[in-house]
Formats: sequence, C-alpha cells, structure tokens
Amino acid sequence: MRKLHVSTRINRWAYLFVLPTVLILLVFRFIPMTAAGYLSLTNYDLFSRPKLIGIKNFIDLLHDASFLQAVRVSFTYVIGSVIPVWILSLLLALMTVKLRKGGGIFRTLIFIPVVLAPVVVAVLWRFLYFEYGLVNEILRFFGVSPVPWLTHPTAAILALIHIGIWRASPYFMVIFTAGLQAIPEEFYEAGRIDGTNAISEFFYITLPILKPIFLLVIVISVITALKVFEIPQLMTDGGPAGATEVIPLHIYKTGFVYFKMGRAAAMSILLFFIMMVFSWIQVKLFSENR
Amino acid sequence: MMQKKSISVFLNGILILLMAMCILQGAIAGGQKEGSKEEQGVMLKPMEGVKGPFAGGGWTFPSRPIKISIWWHEYAPFTKYVKELAERYQKLHPNVTIEQVVASQADLNQKLTVALASGTGPNILDQDISFFAAYYDKGVLEPIDLQVFGGAKLSDIQNEYIGKVLEGVTFGGNIYGLPYQANSMSLVHNLKAYREVGLDFAKDAPKTWEDLKRVGAKLKKVEGGRTVRKGFDFPYQSKRWQLQALQPIIEQFGGTVLDENKKSNLAKEPAIKALELWRDVTKVTGDPKYSLATPSDPNVDFIDGRTAIWYTGPWATNQLKERFGQPYKDWAFTSIAQLDPAHPKTMMYGFTWGVNKDKPAIEKKVAWDFVRFMLANPEEWIIKASFIQPRKGLMETKAAKEFPYIEVHLKDIETASWYVRSVHTNEIVENVGRAIEMVIFQGIEPREALKAADSELSKILDGK
Repeated sequence: MRKLHVSTRINRWAYLFVLPTVLILLVFRFIPMTAAGYLSLTNYDLFSRPKLIGIKNFIDLLHDASFLQAVRVSFTYVIGSVIPVWILSLLLALMTVKLRKGGGIFRTLIFIPVVLAPVVVAVLWRFLYFEYGLVNEILRFFGVSPVPWLTHPTAAILALIHIGIWRASPYFMVIFTAGLQAIPEEFYEAGRIDGTNAISEFFYITLPILKPIFLLVIVISVITALKVFEIPQLMTDGGPAGATEVIPLHIYKTGFVYFKMGRAAAMSILLFFIMMVFSWIQVKLFSENR
Repeated sequence: MMQKKSISVFLNGILILLMAMCILQGAIAGGQKEGSKEEQGVMLKPMEGVKGPFAGGGWTFPSRPIKISIWWHEYAPFTKYVKELAERYQKLHPNVTIEQVVASQADLNQKLTVALASGTGPNILDQDISFFAAYYDKGVLEPIDLQVFGGAKLSDIQNEYIGKVLEGVTFGGNIYGLPYQANSMSLVHNLKAYREVGLDFAKDAPKTWEDLKRVGAKLKKVEGGRTVRKGFDFPYQSKRWQLQALQPIIEQFGGTVLDENKKSNLAKEPAIKALELWRDVTKVTGDPKYSLATPSDPNVDFIDGRTAIWYTGPWATNQLKERFGQPYKDWAFTSIAQLDPAHPKTMMYGFTWGVNKDKPAIEKKVAWDFVRFMLANPEEWIIKASFIQPRKGLMETKAAKEFPYIEVHLKDIETASWYVRSVHTNEIVENVGRAIEMVIFQGIEPREALKAADSELSKILDGK
C-alpha cells in the first residue's frame, strides 16, 4: 500500500482538530447570520410564518425616525468613547511598562472594571450617578452644580460614554502592554546613540512599531462600542426620551418587545455592514501607509 | 486498506446509533399519543368549600405521570403563594410535576415571547392583560377548558367576575385567560409626613388635582437646595407605569388614548391637557431626578421616605405593612386625583393566567385545572399576596373586609376603564413614555412632544 505523504497526513489531522471550532462557528455564527439575512427580507413577527417582502424593511428604516435617532446615539457614543480609550489605554500601558516595581499589581487593579459583570457595573454607577450620589457630592464639594446624570439627555449619554471608557481602557491597555513589551530594547539603544529623547523615541520608534497593534485596537474598540447593549439597557433603558437608545438596544426592542423580528434583522444586517465597512477602511488605511 | 476498513466500521457504527435513537424517540412519542381518548384516571370530585365552576370536578383526571410548567413574574408575596399552591396541587395529584420559573416582569416579557415563538414556552403563562390581544392575534392561547370547571357554561364563568373584567381576555366569544389580579392604581399617603407638616389627612386628603398641588407643595421638603422629600411624584421607573398614570388623566379631560378605530388620539387636546397637567403638578410637588425606584422595586421611594404621596396598587399592601408601618395610622390609600370628583375616571389593569395552545391536549387540560385550582379561593389571594381577584362576592369575605382600603380599590375598579389593550400596546407604551420624558426631562412643550409621538404611533398603527 502506498503510504500518504507526511504533509498530507498532517493536513488531515489539522482539519480534524479545527473541525469542532468550525462546526461551532457554523452553528452559532454563520447559520444564524444567514437566517438573519433571510429574516430581514420578511415580515417575521416571532409567531407567524415569515413572509417575504423584499427590501421593504431596509427602505422603511431610511424613514424610521426612532432608528435614525438610534444611529445618531450610537455614533455619538462611539466617537465619544473610543478616541479617549485609545489615548488612555496607551498611556496606561506606557506607565505600567515603565514601572519597575508594582507594574503587575497596578495592571491587575486597573483591570477590575473589565471583569465586573455588566449588571454590577450598571447598579454601581446608577447609585454613583444618582442626584445625591457620590459623583454629584464630589462636584458639590468643588462648588460645581450637581448634574442630572441619568435624567438629562446630554448628561445621560456622557455618563454612558464615561462608563464605556472606564471599562474598555484597561482591556486595551493589556493589548498595548503586550505590544510594548515585544519591542526590542536594541531599537531604543540605537536611538539613544543617535541622540533621541523620550518624546522622539515615542514618535519615531514606539508608535511606528505599534501600528499593527493600533489597527487591532481601533477595529475592536469601534466594533465593541457599536455593540454596547447591557449598560444602556440596565441603567436607562434607552431614556430619557431615547437619548441613550443605541442601535443594539433599539434592535432588541424592535424584535422582542414590538415583535417585529424582520425589521430587527434588517437593522442587524445594516449594523453588520457598518462594522465591515469601517473595518475594511481601517485595514486599507493602515496597509497603504506602510 | 486497513485504514479504509476502520473508517467504514466507524461510519456504520454512527449510522446504527442514529437509527437506534430514531426508533427510541418514536417509541417515546408513541407512548404519549395526543388526544388519546383512553386516558386512565380517577373521577375528580368538586373541591370542598368552593362553590360554582371553580370547584371543578366531574371529569377523569389522568393517573399517568404528567409534567406541566408555569412561568410568572417575580413579586415576593406572590411568588411565595404560587409556590405554595403548586405544592398543594402536587400533593393532591402526586403524578403531576409542576416545573416553576420566576423572572422579573421585564425579563419575563421577552423570555416568554421568545419561548412561545420557539415552541418552548410554558404550559401556563402569567402576563399583563394588555398582552393578551397580541397573544390571541398570534394564535398562542388555548381557550378555556370548561370541562375542568365542572362542565360549566361560558356564561357561568363570566358571572363569576365583576363588571366587564373578562372583556380583556374574551376574543371571538371565547375566554382565553383568567385574571388573578385586577388593580386600580391609587394614591398612597405617608400619614407621618402629613402630621409633621400640620396637615389633617381626614380633611386634607386631596380629591382634585388642585388639592394635590396644594397638599403636595406643603409636603415637599427642600433643604439647602436639595429635595429631601417630594410631595407627590408621577412614576418614571417604567414607561408602562407612565401610561397607567396618564391614561386616566386623558379620560378625565374627555379623551382616550386610542379612538374607536384604534387610531392614535395623542395629538388631540385631552392628551395635551393631560400632559400639561402632569408637568404642572410635577413642578410644584415632585422632583423626578430624586428617585431610586426600579421596575422590580417600584415603591422604594415611598417606603424610604423620598416621597410623601405615591402612586401604586392594592398589591403593595403587604409590602407597605411589612416595610412602612400600619394602615390607617402610618399610611392610607385614596383614589387618584380627579378633575371632577363627581364623575371619577380611573384605570384598571390586571395580570392573568393563560394556557399555551402549543402543548399536548392532556397537558392543556391539567394546566387549566391547575389554573382553576389556583383561583378557587379569592379570599386566600388577598391574605397571602394582597391581590384582589375581581370576583363577585369578594366583599362579603372576612379577608376582604379586613383588607385595608379595599373599598377604595373596588370603587376605583368600578369606575375604571381597562389599560390600553392593543396588538401594539408595547409601542404605544414606548411612544407615550418618550413624550412624557421629553416634556419632563427636556422641557419640550407637551403639544410638540405628543405631536411627535402621535406621528410615530400613527405609522405603527397604520401598519407602516
């Protein structure tokens, strides 16, 4: 019998090992995504059989004031939260890498917001943002008028943005830390020989080498911010007056509260395309700049 | 060659296993034929001490093992009582297992919807009566099984209830649910606060909105620019509560939320005046920012003393007794304020048991029997859960006579119209809630806020 080539045998085992993951992705990701695509072309209401209505759901969304408001809210949240996250997480990473002693402990303490369950975060911050909660008491101490954090439309979205930054920064700090620790020390030594200082080291050595990490952080942070759901739902349920009703929360209400699953599926598809387009643009920009 | 043979053996083994599983599944399904007319069991006798159709009996209760499931929304005294009823029923029928699931009301709405849609819903569901129109429309509900009610007629069941209470669950001439609770929403007053500011509750209890503004202003306490106690505030923890509060005010101004053709009336004068009144009362007596109420703990502001007058239902009685003090001494209920006390307009809503249509026939029968069993003793519902079942003869019972302020609650139910019931109730709730929040939190004029809500709602109601 002819024996199989080693590489063919290795390939077969490789396929076998990835098969479970592929099956899981197929069952829990790709099949539901395909189903959502189909449902977006129907008037499915969870109870009756879906009936095809073409792209009516997508056309209706262009004139749906509440959906357009959710898009505005989501974009405000994304822009307001991700830019500070990029800056803050990089600064935190630079600090922890520079710390000779206690860097590990510092990173662990800072990481706490990431591991807290969303329900705990929502309850905690609801009390902190209460009219007479700690945040307003601190403001009063400094002579600043208290802010109606959860009952004023602008303040409410700012409160959520702040929580988003508080939770996301430590997570991306860890990613940046890994990137910083991978930069060979010889690069900095060579730079010092050429007369660089800390600032020029950062801009001419650190940042260019961290470019792939930046791409990862930017793409993941934007996608994560676009998908935020639990905190707005638990803290404000999208209020006051829809001021914090982000797209995922609007999708949830459309599908599970108003029983318009077809329309909710259409919104999900649109959200997916927004994320894909954004990710594609980022990858293109970063690869063109090499 | 050896490798090919082992793969072949492996695949054959999987095939044999799959076939065995199919045969086994078929055997199990075959043993549970739906609609079998040959159920063996015991002839049930009517319940002792219970009169009328709720005594049940007169049919053969199956003796084989049966499992039914029931889901309901969390409220501590209610949960405790339903668990007790389930235990009693299981002792009475040891072959029946009742699987129980409790969730917060907000979670239950979505959990139930998804479960019903995916065919994994419970046998017995608990839901606000305003959902029943949608559930009936979607074909989810099983009509009442009159055989378990001792072979009664529909009219016998209808005659058990006061007023037009069963209208909310009657569709196409049949009954699709039975309410275990009907509530008016009334005002509860902190009598200690009244005494503190020199008010005499017996004389000063507000009957009109002007009274409420005057009394609420006196009860409101502000120290150093901070609200320490509100006089009265409308609910903001849930948009459903907001509509419950606004609807009777709209009706007091001579309007309705929906017209007779189920079209929106939100842009009309009665709704605008109602929301203007809401805003004006709030400015004088309330402070919506000063609240820790949540949908699962709606009375916490009153109990913790953050508001002197609050808006709640008879179901809160046990909680008020346990956590706040004694009725008549520390707290009291009155009807909501009126524009014209001689012609009061109040609102009623209720929670209802329904039976899932998508279950085997025998499970549906046992489910209806358990519903009957649960509702057989309205007096006990008052004692154990402070829930008023809107049944005739309730006022003659000892528990009702001893229930604090039951005369207020029953009077309010008599003058009440049902909370908005529509296939689009949830969307109506959302749009009205948004309009209220726009006025109160953004300072937008009621006319403008309601015009926007009306425009959105009209598209929804027109099916766009």
